[in-house]
Amino acid sequence: MVIEVVGEAEPSTSRSAEREGVGERRSRVRRRTRERFVVLAGQLLVIGLLVLAMQLVNANFGGLTMPAPGSVLRQLGHLVRDGVLGRALAETLTVFGIGYGVSLASGVLLGMVVGGFRTIGRIWEPFINALNATPRVAFIPLIIVWFGLFVESKVIVAWLSAFVPILINTADGIQNADQDLIEMAKALGTPRRTLFWRVLVPAALPSILTGVRVGAALAILGTIVAELYTAQAGLGGLLAEAGNTFQMAEYFAVVIVLAALGTAVSALLRMLERRFAAWRVDWREGS
Amino acid sequence: MRQQEPPVAVVEAARGGEAQGAPSGRPQIEVQGVSRWFKGGQVHALDRITFDVAAGEFVSVVGPSGCGKTTLLRVIDGLIKPDAGRVLIAGHPPVPGPQMGFVFQQARLLPWRTVRANVEFPLFVQGVPADERRERAMNVLATVGLQAFANAYPHELSGGMQQRVGLARAFAVDPAVLLMDEPFGALDAMTRQFMRLELLRLWARLRTAVVFVTHDIDEAILLSNRIVVLRPRPGQVDEIVRVDLPEDRWEGDVEGLQRFRELHDHLWHRIRSMVGQSAEWATSAQGGGGRGGEPAPGDVRPGPGGS
Repeated sequence: MVIEVVGEAEPSTSRSAEREGVGERRSRVRRRTRERFVVLAGQLLVIGLLVLAMQLVNANFGGLTMPAPGSVLRQLGHLVRDGVLGRALAETLTVFGIGYGVSLASGVLLGMVVGGFRTIGRIWEPFINALNATPRVAFIPLIIVWFGLFVESKVIVAWLSAFVPILINTADGIQNADQDLIEMAKALGTPRRTLFWRVLVPAALPSILTGVRVGAALAILGTIVAELYTAQAGLGGLLAEAGNTFQMAEYFAVVIVLAALGTAVSALLRMLERRFAAWRVDWREGS
Repeated sequence: MRQQEPPVAVVEAARGGEAQGAPSGRPQIEVQGVSRWFKGGQVHALDRITFDVAAGEFVSVVGPSGCGKTTLLRVIDGLIKPDAGRVLIAGHPPVPGPQMGFVFQQARLLPWRTVRANVEFPLFVQGVPADERRERAMNVLATVGLQAFANAYPHELSGGMQQRVGLARAFAVDPAVLLMDEPFGALDAMTRQFMRLELLRLWARLRTAVVFVTHDIDEAILLSNRIVVLRPRPGQVDEIVRVDLPEDRWEGDVEGLQRFRELHDHLWHRIRSMVGQSAEWATSAQGGGGRGGEPAPGDVRPGPGGS
């Protein structure tokens, strides 16, 4: 009798939960839209304040201390029209693309090896940590000696910048995969290879994707640093040139482009993350 | 370990009794003198555990925390090896695999797989072709009433529904043995009732040998043919009680039956006396209570089946 009552209660509660769900969903969408609007307005306000501050500093201390926002914009226009910016951007994106691409492949692959084989992981751990703790700039003189001043050495710096965090995040993700899920799979008699590809790697995906995103920002950084310290080229080259000759308007124009580039790459990767690890995003945001 | 080791007190109340559905004579699960230590011998988890489970029999394991219930299940599954004694499944040493269904306290579903893909997972491990996998998964999901949620992800389900998927996954491969580690312990009371019914329905159809670990005495009485009572530190068989209630006990109001209350009181008394025995518990228990029926070590108490 007790059970009968429970059996009846089940469908009706789920039905009412569904009905509730529709209304709740609508109000949640409304809340999200409002939140998005507030965030966007806040961000525009911050930009406005920055521009205002620039203008004030410029008015009081002169164009060398701080260029006027208007002249920065004009300079940006010049750079675009001359094709200087386009060429620099292409150079930078080439170095970044190759360096980051190679670091993705090598970082994820070696991270899987280091994370998947305990002994190998333990052998390499201190060396990986040492590499991680060393500023990548420290390697630039050596890289110049080995690979010269041009694209090759820049690609190597970009690769080295992103490779380590991607490797570490991949290895960590696999090593810290949910023990309960591993035990469940082992109880089913899952062979090692299946366990690795079907449980450990998917469980590590959120961590791997974090490494991929962090790596992208660091690869951009590495690219710009390489362009500053080796043969000047790309956006880093423009930055150095403008900075060294105290053309502050041009300098700020390049900084804005760099910031926009970093933001765009991050946003793109976040979008990919949502797409390929939707279960994780839902699981974090839902309930 | 610091306690003196009392002789194993086993009251095999069901001995000679007809265990349902055991045609071959050989028990499906034989646990023979299993001992297991942890931390290099510091922790004695299991001490000479011996009991059988006939084919198609439902056996619960109850006992206070620290009596090695979970360890016992892992030994039966073959996930860990005993330090002494042995386990036989249909006469062979256990190998973790799809023939051994395992249901955990948390459903342990793969969060990146849909409900259906989770139920398919053991079939995938077994190498069952994709279309057959799909068909079998959908069939099992239908029996637990979740076919409408086949394409949902685990996080979209309630705890009770997740555990139903866990049950479906265990039953998807027609296991010879079903091991359950407090599977309903994390659910609310109402869902738990419903899940018990669900489990009994599935079990009645498939007649798998079940070892069901729980700390809920009523649950053990409601579900089982026999109940193995363990005492803690080290985990030893205290007694084995046959539940002589009607087979279709979930149809009526069993909890109101005189026999149910007797079994409940008996089991509760046993377990409370163990808790009273432990120095660790005696000091923390309020007013030094719970020592009422402290039995002498090795006190053999006849099970209700024999009384």
